Amino acid sequence: MTQPFLSIRGIRKTYGQVTAVKNVSLDVAQGEFMTFLGPSGSGKSTTLYILAGFQDPTDGDILLNGQSLLSTPSHKRNIGMVFQRYTLFPHLTVGENVAFPLRIRRVGQAEIAERVKKALKLVRLEGFEDRKPALMSGGQQQRVALARALVYNPPVLLMDEPLSALDKKLREEIQFEIRRIHQETGVTILYVTHDQEEALRLSDRIAVFSQGEIDQIGTGPELYANPATHFVAGFIGDSNFINAEILSSADGKAKLSLPGGTVIDGVPMHAGKAGGKSASLLLRPERLSLSSTQVGNGLAVTINDITFLGNNIEVSTLTGSGESLSVRLPFGHEAISSISRGDQAWLSFEPKSTHAFA
Amino acid sequence: MVLSATTDGGQRSIRRNGSFGYVVPALLLIAFFFIIPVLMLLMRSVLEPTPGLQNYQELLGSTTYLRVFLNTFTVAGLVTVVAVVIGFPVAWLLAIMPDKWSRLVMAIIVLSMWTNLLARTYAWMVLLQRTGVVNKMLISLGIIDKPLALVNNLVGVTIGMTYIMLPFVILPLIGILKSIDPAILRAAALCGANKRQCFTRVLLPLSLPGIASGALMVFVMSLGYYVTPALLGGTSNMMLAELVAQFVQSLVNWGMGGAAALVLLLVTMVLYAIQLKFLNPNRVR
Ligand SMILES: Nc1ncnc2c1ncn2[C@@H]1O[C@H](COP(=O)(O)OP(=O)(O)O)[C@@H](O)[C@H]1O
Ligand SMILES: [Mg+2]
Repeated sequence: MTQPFLSIRGIRKTYGQVTAVKNVSLDVAQGEFMTFLGPSGSGKSTTLYILAGFQDPTDGDILLNGQSLLSTPSHKRNIGMVFQRYTLFPHLTVGENVAFPLRIRRVGQAEIAERVKKALKLVRLEGFEDRKPALMSGGQQQRVALARALVYNPPVLLMDEPLSALDKKLREEIQFEIRRIHQETGVTILYVTHDQEEALRLSDRIAVFSQGEIDQIGTGPELYANPATHFVAGFIGDSNFINAEILSSADGKAKLSLPGGTVIDGVPMHAGKAGGKSASLLLRPERLSLSSTQVGNGLAVTINDITFLGNNIEVSTLTGSGESLSVRLPFGHEAISSISRGDQAWLSFEPKSTHAFA
Repeated sequence: MVLSATTDGGQRSIRRNGSFGYVVPALLLIAFFFIIPVLMLLMRSVLEPTPGLQNYQELLGSTTYLRVFLNTFTVAGLVTVVAVVIGFPVAWLLAIMPDKWSRLVMAIIVLSMWTNLLARTYAWMVLLQRTGVVNKMLISLGIIDKPLALVNNLVGVTIGMTYIMLPFVILPLIGILKSIDPAILRAAALCGANKRQCFTRVLLPLSLPGIASGALMVFVMSLGYYVTPALLGGTSNMMLAELVAQFVQSLVNWGMGGAAALVLLLVTMVLYAIQLKFLNPNRVR
């Protein structure tokens, strides 16, 4: 078996009574862009801080190229990091900020000048050497921070919600820059965000954090198509959930009874507790279809609202038992012309395309 | 910077509202109790015993008096350095301590500032004398075998004055240190800086304006200090304020006393001007 580049093994971190990280294990390949995605308080930053050496884990180990990092203090780990808050040294110019790690490493004057120039070019801030950070925008400051973190060629770059203080347009711009920089430098990146769109746009793989644990690790499409838990299903992509009764389950497939009495079979079943009676059924809005007559597996619904969203149309519906389900149809779908608010309609789907979570 | 914005705004709004007139009584009071006495002192220093600058000539020309000046600057400088060296780590501790504890310590510091100055100085006399607690403790610990001379000399003055001046370094520094984001120091650590480098290259430069203004304040206050040097100092290291007191009280020489007091005032104002020019917190760094 080949040795993983970076290996996080069974990390746990408690602060008194609070468990910030329960049990996190994860291997990262060299050059990979790995994102920790999860809601606030799910332990993403703590995991990153343990990697950076700002915190010691209560349990577990971190290996880089097979060597444990834990006994190495932060300043000797040679890891790069961009923080959520602006952390440029306010008393130094942009150029001096980027040169700082090199000065500490006693790199020669000429080489420093050259590498600072290259790093600033990488983040497209050539010519800003003499500016003071206070005179730069938030986005520019984070790009300088990125240059400062990359100038010493760290094997791993950590980024803790670096864009969360920026507005949406700027955020997207810099996401694009980060992707380009990742491709140009080939540096291994561990990126933390609570924004699924950002995670999907940037990452090779995503680790979904929930309450101090990783629920699932996979590529964006994998997480979307095959969520392992109810939480992942709700966090990645748009989702509807309805309650269903489990009639039987075997080999990871379940037979379910829906509120209207419809019985569906062959539904992928996750985390089934033996003998569990009820399940939550995931229905992706874009995997549902609507028709005015009853066709295939589905539910009888009432049309509640129809919203035009540009390239598609969102229809919000209510089931007989009062659960609301949204359906997304491509613009121009034939069902649209035949339905209007208050109509009865039939909502159908492929059992294979749904997921049940017990 | 936040502070400066409010002061600037305040001044401007006073002018804008045309409510300048309301401060006239206060200005008159200052004129009456501060400026007029100073002017009178100035008059006496150039008029007594005969008109002319001979008082200033004598003061600045004689080695005896120059030694007093030198001693004044030495004590003030020493107190400033010791106060900063002790005050900085204390302020740092208070800045990173949980608020609950730092508030308690700060309350103790402020409370001590409210305690009578004479009482505090006499307390040091008791502590530092030959048979005092400090000497007894050092002897019983075996560090020394004969009591040290800790009062009536430079050591006594420095200890006593440093103690009194420390809050003026600590209290403003806490605010400055608290405003430094710990994430900046974390960033420095990941950049490769060890603890010492984080301190010298990041923390110290960032807190320098606070250190400098605290130090200058302590220096200026120390220059004119009277009670502590008079009680804890020896005759051989008299300070300027003591000299003034001696001229006026013992020698009833208002001319020399006035001249000495005005030289002290002038030095203080020059230092204050330097502070305004170079350490102005309003300036963009
Ligand atoms: N220094 C600390 N002391 C106590 N609790 C902490 C500390 N740091 C983090 N926590 C707790 O640990 C949990 C995870 O925090 P964090 O890793 O910052 O989450 P995230 O980055 O995913 O938002 C939170 O419940 C937080 O309150
Ligand atoms: Mg966080």
